[in-house]
Amino acid sequence: METSFAITGKGYVLMAADTTAARSIVKMKTDEDKIKTLSPHLLMAYSGEPGDTVQFAEYVERNIRLYQIRNVYALRPAAAASWIRRSLAESLRSRKPYSVNLLLGGYDTSSYNPQLFWIDYLGTMTEVPFAAHGYGAYFALSLLDRYHDPSASLEEGLDTLRRCIDEVSKRLVVTPGKYKVKIVDKDGVREIEL
Amino acid sequence: MSRSYDRALTVFSPDGHLFQVEYALEAVRKGTCAVGVRGKDVVVLGVEKKSILQLQDPRTVRKVVMLDDHVCLAFAGLTADGRVLIDKARIECQSHRLTVEDPVTVEYITRHIAGIQQRYTQSGGVRPFGISTLIVGFDPHDSTPRLYQTEPSGIYSAWKANAIGRSSKTVREFLEKNHRDDLSREESIKLTIKSLLEVVQTGAKNIEISVMESYGKVTNLELSEIEAIVSEIEREKEAEAERKRSRLAATAAGQAAMTQRAEES
Amino acid sequence: MNTFLERYSSTNAVSQLKRAQRLAEEEDEFTDSAWGSQAGYGQLMNGPPSFTVPNVPDPSSFLRLHTDDHADPNCRIKIQHGTTTLAFRFQGGVIVAVDSRATAGSYIASGTVKKVIEINPYLLGTMAGGAADCQYWETYLGMHCRLHELRNRERISVSAASKYLSNLVYSYKGMGLSMGTMICGWDKTGPAIFYVDSDGTRLKGDLFSVGSGSTFAYGVLDQGYRWDLTDAEAQELGRRSIYAAGHRDAFSGNTCNLYHVKENGWEFIANYDISKLHYDGPGDVAGSPGHGYGYGIRVQGRSSANPPEATAAA
Repeated sequence: METSFAITGKGYVLMAADTTAARSIVKMKTDEDKIKTLSPHLLMAYSGEPGDTVQFAEYVERNIRLYQIRNVYALRPAAAASWIRRSLAESLRSRKPYSVNLLLGGYDTSSYNPQLFWIDYLGTMTEVPFAAHGYGAYFALSLLDRYHDPSASLEEGLDTLRRCIDEVSKRLVVTPGKYKVKIVDKDGVREIEL
Repeated sequence: MSRSYDRALTVFSPDGHLFQVEYALEAVRKGTCAVGVRGKDVVVLGVEKKSILQLQDPRTVRKVVMLDDHVCLAFAGLTADGRVLIDKARIECQSHRLTVEDPVTVEYITRHIAGIQQRYTQSGGVRPFGISTLIVGFDPHDSTPRLYQTEPSGIYSAWKANAIGRSSKTVREFLEKNHRDDLSREESIKLTIKSLLEVVQTGAKNIEISVMESYGKVTNLELSEIEAIVSEIEREKEAEAERKRSRLAATAAGQAAMTQRAEES
Repeated sequence: MNTFLERYSSTNAVSQLKRAQRLAEEEDEFTDSAWGSQAGYGQLMNGPPSFTVPNVPDPSSFLRLHTDDHADPNCRIKIQHGTTTLAFRFQGGVIVAVDSRATAGSYIASGTVKKVIEINPYLLGTMAGGAADCQYWETYLGMHCRLHELRNRERISVSAASKYLSNLVYSYKGMGLSMGTMICGWDKTGPAIFYVDSDGTRLKGDLFSVGSGSTFAYGVLDQGYRWDLTDAEAQELGRRSIYAAGHRDAFSGNTCNLYHVKENGWEFIANYDISKLHYDGPGDVAGSPGHGYGYGIRVQGRSSANPPEATAAA
C-alpha cells in the first residue's frame, strides 16, 4: 500500500515514501521515486490515484521551476505550499479533479526554518511537525506523537523514521517493500540510504 | 502614396513590402547593440548596457536573460516587447520538458520564438515584435555551442558570430574580419568585448558579458573582469599605435636621411 | 460485446463480482469524501480500515474506474483480460514477446491476433485490454512520431513517444478506454521500455508483463532474468515465459510472437505454436533447449520415489 512519512528536526525535514507501483495484485515496479525535488530547498511526496499523481506532480514541478526562472528566486516553502493547495482546490471544483495527497517539506533559507505541510486531495492544508499519508499513517502518527523531537539531530531523526518504517513493516498486512528517503536542509536536497 | 499601407495592420504594399515589419526592423536598429560569438567549446553573449540613472536599481534592467538552464537570450529593440516574448519562450521551455521529458534544443526554442514573431506579422489587430534576438546555448547530451538569431519578420538563422541592434553592420564586419572557428574561452570573450568597443565608447561599465561553457554552465562576468579585459585591449591598441608611430617615424627619418644625403652629394 | 461476454463467461466469476460489489457498497458508510484522507487527523475515528474490498484507498471509486458501467449497467470489471504480453530490457536490446489469443468470455474468438503493434521501424507497442483502443491509438501515435521526426529532424525518444500516448489516454480517463501497453524501442539513450495504461500510469522499467497471464509470465521471467543475458538466452526466456502463461492461463495461448529490438530497429524473430513448444520445443533456433518446455517432458525419467535400498536392489 502507498505510504509516505515526513518529520522535521533541527534544521531539516526528512521524507520517506515507498517505491512500489502496483496494479491489482502485481507490483509493476519496485524502484519508483515518489518524492519530487521542486526547487533547491523543496521536496514533495505524492500519492493517490494512479495517473493523477504523476500528472499533478509534474505540473507543479514545471510551474515552480518557471517561477524561479522568471523571478530568479524560488518560492519559499509556505508560498509554494499555498500555490499548490490552491491548484488542488481549483482542480477539486473542476470536471475532473486530481485525487492526489501531498507532503511538502522545505527549508526556508530566509528564516532558517524547516517547514512541513500536510495537504490532502480536498485541498486541506496544515503545517505540522510530522505527517503521514496512506495506511502507514494509522501506525506512524501515534508513534510520532510519542517519539518525535523537533530538535532531534539528523541521526536521531533517522532513528525515528526507522521506527515508523519498522512498525509499518511489522503490523501492516500488505507492507511496502522499499522506501526512498530524502532530506532537505540548508545545503539543499539529498537522498539518504536508511 | 504608401500611407495607406503602413497603418495598424500588416498588409502588403504593391511592391511586396510589409512596412510594419520593416519599421520593426528600424526599432531594432535603434536598440542597444548585442553580440554573440561562438568559440571552440564556448559561446559568449555581450550586450551594450544603457547607462543607468543615478537613482535607478541596475538589477531591474536586464538585457541577457535565461530561458532555461541551458539557453540564454539577448535582444535588441523594444525592451517591453522583449519581456513578453521572453515569457512566452520560458513557458515553452518548461512545457517542452513536461511533454517530451527532455529540455529544449537551442534550435527548437529559436524556431518557436521565430514562429511567434512570424504569427505577429500575419494576424489581425496586432503589430510585430520590435526586437531581434540572439539565442545561445548547448543542446542536451551535446558539446557543440549554438548561436541563433531571430528577426521581427520571423526569420531565424544559425551563426558563428553575429551582432544585432545599433551599428550592428560595423560590428558584424569587424567580426567577419576577426572570427576564427577555434577561439578559446578567453579569446571569445576578448573578441566579443573588442567588437562591442567598436560601438560602445564609454567602455567597460556599459558592457555586460555572459559566458556559457557547457550545458547549464553560465557565468556573468563581473565589472572588474570586463574592465581588466578592456584595459588589456586598450593597451594592445596603444602598443599597436606606438609601433605604427615608431615605424612611421623610422621611415620618415630614413627618408630625411636619404634626402640629406642626396643634397650633400 | 459486453452482453456477449457475459453469456459465455462462467457464472462463478459473476457471482464473485456481485459479492465484491456488495462489499464495496457496504464500505460506502465511510462516505466517499473520507478516502485518501486517512491521515486526516479528524478521520481516525473510523477505526482501522478493512481489507475485504480491493486494496485501494477508495474501493467504490476504484470499481467505478475499472468497470464499464456506461456500456453495461451490470458493471463488469474490465481487467486486461485474455492476454499475455511481456517485454524486457537487457544487454543486447529489448525482447518483446506476446501470445496471440483473443477471447470473448470462454470462447476463443481468434488464435492469430497480432498483439505487437509496429509503430515504426524503431518502436514497438504491445496490446492488452481493448484491441481496438490499442490498435487505433498506437497507430495514431506512430503518425505523431513521424511528424516529430519531420519537425525536429531527429527520431522521437521512447520516453517522449510513451509520454505522448500517456497524456493522450489520460485525457480520456474515465471515459472507457482500456489499454495496458508497453512502448519499447531504442533511442539515443539505448534500449528503453515504458509501461503505459489507460489510468494514465506511465512507468519506466527493465521488465514488464501485462495481461491476465502476466503473473504466470512473471514467474518464469523474473527467475530467469539477468542484465547480461546473451541474445539467444534472452529470446529463449521470452518464448518460455509466454509459453508458461499460455499453458497456465486459459485466456492466453495459441502462438507466441517474438520480437527483438536492437540498435538499428526491431526485428521479428519468429512465430511459435505454443502446443509445439510444449511437446517439441522451439525447434532448431538460437537458445533452444532441444526438447519440449512441458513439465512432463522436462522431468521425463526422473522420479521422487525413495524406496529403501534393499527393495531397490531386489
